Amino acid sequence: MAEDESRISIAKTFRVKPKLRPTSNKATPTPESKFWKSFKIPKDIEFTPSKSVIYPITSIAFSPIAPHDFAATHSANISIFSGKTLEPKSTIASAFADSATSAAFRCDGKLLAAGDLTGTVHVFDAKSRTHLRRLKCHSAAARLVRYPRADDKFHLFSGGDDSVVKYWDVTTETCLFNLLGHKDYVRCGDASPVSDDMFASGSYDHKVRIWDVRVSNSGSVMELNHEKPVESVLYLPSGGLIATAGGNFVKIWDVIGGGKLLYSMESHNKTVTSLCIGKIGKESGEEAQQYRILSVSLDGYMKVFDYAKFKITHSMRFPNPLLSVGFSPDCSTRVIGTTNGTFYVGRRKTKLESDGPGDVVGLGDVEVDPERRVIRPTYFRYFHRGQNTKPSEGDYLITRPRKLKFAVHDKLLKKFRHKEALVAALSGKNTENVVAVMEELVARKKLLKCVSNLDEEELGLLLGFLQKYSTMPRYAGFLMRFTEKVVEMRADDIKSSDQLRGNIRNLKRDVEEEIRIQQSMQEIQGIISPMLRIAARR
Amino acid sequence: MITGGKSLVSSPPAFSNDAKRLLVCTGNTVSIFSTSTGLQISELEGHGAPVTSVIIVPASTPASKVLCHCWTTSLDGKIRLWDFMAPELIRTIDAGFPIHSMVIPSLLSQQMESKGKSPNLFAYIYIEAERQREGQPNSSCGQIRKCNLTKSRLAGGVSLAETHKPGCISISPSGKYIGICETHKLRIWEIPTKDSDNTVYKKIRLHHTKTFTTLAFHPTERVVAAGDVTGRILLWRGVGHRTFSIGDKFINGGLNKDAEERPGVRGNDDADSCTTWHWHSAEVNVLFFSSDGAYLFSGGREGVFVVWQLDTGKKKFLPRIGSPLLYFTNSSDPSLSSISCANNQIHLLRMPSMEISRSISGIKLPNSVSDIYEGSGSSVVFDHTVGFVAVPTDNYSVQFYSLFNDREISEVQICERNHQPGDEATVKVNLVALSRDGSTMGTVETRLPEEGIGGFVSLKFWACGSQNKDFSLSTVIYEPHREASVSSIAFHPDCHMAVTSSYGGDFKIWVCTHDTHLKDQMLQSSGWRCHAVGSYKKKPMTAAAFSADGSVLAVAAEKVVTLWDPDQNILVAVIGDTLEPIVTLSFVGKSTYLMSASRGSNPQLTLWSMSKLSISWSYKLHTEDVTCSGDSSTFAVLALLPKTSECVASTEATLQGFDGAILLFNVENPVPLATWFVSKAQGGRLGFIQKSPRLPDEVTDVKSAHDLLAYMDSNYEYVLFNPYGKQGHNQSITRWQNLSNLEEKEKIGYASIYGELTEFSVEKDQTHIPHIPYEKNWETLFSGPSHKLAPLTKLCLDFLESSLERRSVTVE
Repeated sequence: MAEDESRISIAKTFRVKPKLRPTSNKATPTPESKFWKSFKIPKDIEFTPSKSVIYPITSIAFSPIAPHDFAATHSANISIFSGKTLEPKSTIASAFADSATSAAFRCDGKLLAAGDLTGTVHVFDAKSRTHLRRLKCHSAAARLVRYPRADDKFHLFSGGDDSVVKYWDVTTETCLFNLLGHKDYVRCGDASPVSDDMFASGSYDHKVRIWDVRVSNSGSVMELNHEKPVESVLYLPSGGLIATAGGNFVKIWDVIGGGKLLYSMESHNKTVTSLCIGKIGKESGEEAQQYRILSVSLDGYMKVFDYAKFKITHSMRFPNPLLSVGFSPDCSTRVIGTTNGTFYVGRRKTKLESDGPGDVVGLGDVEVDPERRVIRPTYFRYFHRGQNTKPSEGDYLITRPRKLKFAVHDKLLKKFRHKEALVAALSGKNTENVVAVMEELVARKKLLKCVSNLDEEELGLLLGFLQKYSTMPRYAGFLMRFTEKVVEMRADDIKSSDQLRGNIRNLKRDVEEEIRIQQSMQEIQGIISPMLRIAARR
Repeated sequence: MITGGKSLVSSPPAFSNDAKRLLVCTGNTVSIFSTSTGLQISELEGHGAPVTSVIIVPASTPASKVLCHCWTTSLDGKIRLWDFMAPELIRTIDAGFPIHSMVIPSLLSQQMESKGKSPNLFAYIYIEAERQREGQPNSSCGQIRKCNLTKSRLAGGVSLAETHKPGCISISPSGKYIGICETHKLRIWEIPTKDSDNTVYKKIRLHHTKTFTTLAFHPTERVVAAGDVTGRILLWRGVGHRTFSIGDKFINGGLNKDAEERPGVRGNDDADSCTTWHWHSAEVNVLFFSSDGAYLFSGGREGVFVVWQLDTGKKKFLPRIGSPLLYFTNSSDPSLSSISCANNQIHLLRMPSMEISRSISGIKLPNSVSDIYEGSGSSVVFDHTVGFVAVPTDNYSVQFYSLFNDREISEVQICERNHQPGDEATVKVNLVALSRDGSTMGTVETRLPEEGIGGFVSLKFWACGSQNKDFSLSTVIYEPHREASVSSIAFHPDCHMAVTSSYGGDFKIWVCTHDTHLKDQMLQSSGWRCHAVGSYKKKPMTAAAFSADGSVLAVAAEKVVTLWDPDQNILVAVIGDTLEPIVTLSFVGKSTYLMSASRGSNPQLTLWSMSKLSISWSYKLHTEDVTCSGDSSTFAVLALLPKTSECVASTEATLQGFDGAILLFNVENPVPLATWFVSKAQGGRLGFIQKSPRLPDEVTDVKSAHDLLAYMDSNYEYVLFNPYGKQGHNQSITRWQNLSNLEEKEKIGYASIYGELTEFSVEKDQTHIPHIPYEKNWETLFSGPSHKLAPLTKLCLDFLESSLERRSVTVE
């Protein structure tokens, strides 16, 4: 120990290091955004535009029963997709007289209901596609159809552009209650996950009403003012919170606490069209098995909102305006529908999937531990025994002093062979190192000396480098002036060589290009700056 | 009062005879360091001027090894003999002239002589004498004089040589020759073995075309090595065959060689041959022959220690010492020697392996080429709470130095770049700032451009983990103010906020943000971000300061002071108009006063009242530095004394080399509370330091609650005193006592190789044997026929056992 202390190093040697890059938040994704990014288009199925539909996808619903098939409504069709393979399984087309809306699965996944723009609510067998019931009572388009979520299999509710919410007994095709109260189109709603008798509906009169069919005659039990036409209503899994979307924002309400507004998430730039519940399907980690709100908007963004922390944890951009979103209950599939009929299906690779079919399991047992041979001094391995021993927990590790690895240019700089160091850096691949070596040479006041000593070939190398990088914003401040100096110093050599003249031509072209860019950027700045000034005044 | 920060490398150090102590000339005192721990253990105080040389009286016999005497010389003209273990003064000899160097040849030659009664002890001293010449009354010259130490007087009028400037005398290890370098020539004298008051010296000169810097003698042969300013080492062999050997009856063959047969020897110099070794790229400062004469050690400005094999000229290197080498000293222990470096460090060298075993570091001296950054402010800062000072050093780092302990604490590498000592400084750490609690450091480093390209400024924020000042880099900001350089950094007193002002006309407020999004992995990232940018009429911002509660930010925009709300970044008020740009701003404690200082042709020290937004009072003073105490409403100003005033002649006598004054003010009163005159004030710094609990607190009245004032002059020598108390009480005497215990006992012989033997007890073995001899056993033991007797080996044990008297069994 005393020996270690006494060994004082005098002066450390340093490598030539490039300037640090600014670290951005994107460089280190949080585990959560990693999770949301892990939803990728499966390789085996391609939702190419040709396969997708051409009409807006108005709603997406997942079956609550595995394998979690999902249904999507578009024009006068409902397409049902297999939850396992993500292939379109079947399409119900003939039943609808007009565009289909709002698909909804029953709690056992056996029945599928959907409305259409004529005001009819259709009920199908999800498997056989048999048209079982037609519930006709709405006088205008039925935009909202939902089954109760807990275990009520006999009722459903619907809302329509006639601003009435109806509660149906499906078996008899009768409307049990007409729930009146909305003053504009009812476009969305959701059933409570904990109670079969409660549901919420949102309307274009900016209100969200919560109904209880047990006290149906007295109108809505609660009224929430969203202050924008409500596009989507979502009961959060606890049943105590409601998320509403409308306009550019999503609001979270505490229903149990008397309809108090908890938070307003205002990060979308266009109308938020749909909400759904997402769940982080990871076993470990801080946020495992937590629920999130997925919101999609016409601005093409899907945002993941943590309603416990009131924070947006992930944000994803799509090239089209988004209309509907669905997330499978087993956390493996995420589907987004757009206005032009494209599906964005993302599937997460899970461990179950990778285990795959049974034959892989069979292979696992073949491998048997090879017999351990006793190592004798006659073996070469005898002399290496114990060298790979891993330290155990409590061991005090004495590490060998880390040896600095020096690059070629570092070694040459150490020997004060400046020009060779510059050439060595230039012939390397790393741009940052070249600039770092140049800066080091500046600090030694040797850079211009080096340039004057370069022979023609090396000068060509340098000019090639300068042409490539002198317009890059990171290095431009330094390299532009340096280029000027180089051209000035070696004008005669450049004139005499064809190749160097070629280099200079390229350089000139790049610089002109850059100047054009700068000019157009200045124009933009000229447009924007008065606007900013006006905005700042407000 | 505590003083410290003295240069350790003003003159060569010396090892004690047992090589356990190193005697270093530190200003007016000689500090004694332990070579095993590198800590100071005692001090020899007594000289009135800087000590220039220290010579240990060698131990001629093993018995006299305990003798710890040394001679010291000083610029005050005194030669003193000390017992440095006690430590006490034995004798004082007054030479009358400032002594720059001294050698005592007879001390060295005594070792070889028989132990006789040496009649007189002669020393050769290099003094600064006044030149007796008309016309130039004040010109001084160097003189080598002889001094009879036994009789305590200068030897009668003998002056060996007269030179332009006093320097250093070199002496051969045998004490036979002494020599000096004088510009282009070496002068060497032979010292007769029987030295007396009037002897005739044989002398020779050796010439060269370059200026010599150093000189060394071979221990046994007549070989002289000399280094010059260009880095060449000249090696003369057979020096002085003609002159010296006649008296010695020395048989030599090269006596009558022609000039052609003496290769390299210039003119009529008395040497057989001269060889030149040229490896050093700059001035050679160190030359030393190893004690066996086989190697020559050399070192110079480039900070590489070179070992030359004398016969072959082969080299071995100890590179990257990081600073110009100044002296090399060997000790009686062949494996221990020391190198003194220009950055105020003494490295103890383990010799054959050339390993640095320990370093004694003083405060790193200011950069000599820092003038190019004039105007960017001095960068030495004081840590108010723990009494540290942060000094930027040549090798792009910041040294933390404890003022109370006079010891280096740590060094933080600011810029990761290899430092070549000889180079022109193009990269420099030119601003350092510490937050009030010392947990955050901000540094600004500047790279100078080469012909207008490639220069940039980077601002770095450092976070400190523990009290030990091991700072780690938190944020780097390249070009914080575009191309403009930063004029000042100031930290918010409470929260993580800092402001940098630049000459480019804006200031930026930086805040520290903590992101702790990865809690499970314990990953914390914190960084400094720009919070706000402000400017005032595009004027260069020259200084910035936060008020004591952090609610007001004052930024000097050239000649006016702008006051801002740092959180909202709103301009609150603009006050004042000074004649010259303001260089320093500071809020006075918790009072409502702001102090500003400007330099230039119309220097001004102004106190602004924040409540009235107007000048309270002002002085025309050339202020070098200002400091404000943390809580009370006093502040201290280091002012340079005006040089061009007409009363120079009258005050000359009273000022005695003082060129600055420290003035202590209270905000209410423009009359200073106290004034001290100081020397070397140009570039000096002032700082209030919290009184450390470690200090012996002899004043226990109310005033002891006040801070101490630290003054550091341009050579980084500092003094720490209580500005409110009486002066003159010296607290440094008791400082080293606790340190001397730390010195470890050196192991010798077996223990040094294998470590201490564990003491094993013989008793332990005996207890296992149930062996109870009975009374008078020996009487019957041998009775009986011999063939029946037990073997002798058995009997012997019994016999001896029984013949010993048994101890009574009270041990249990």
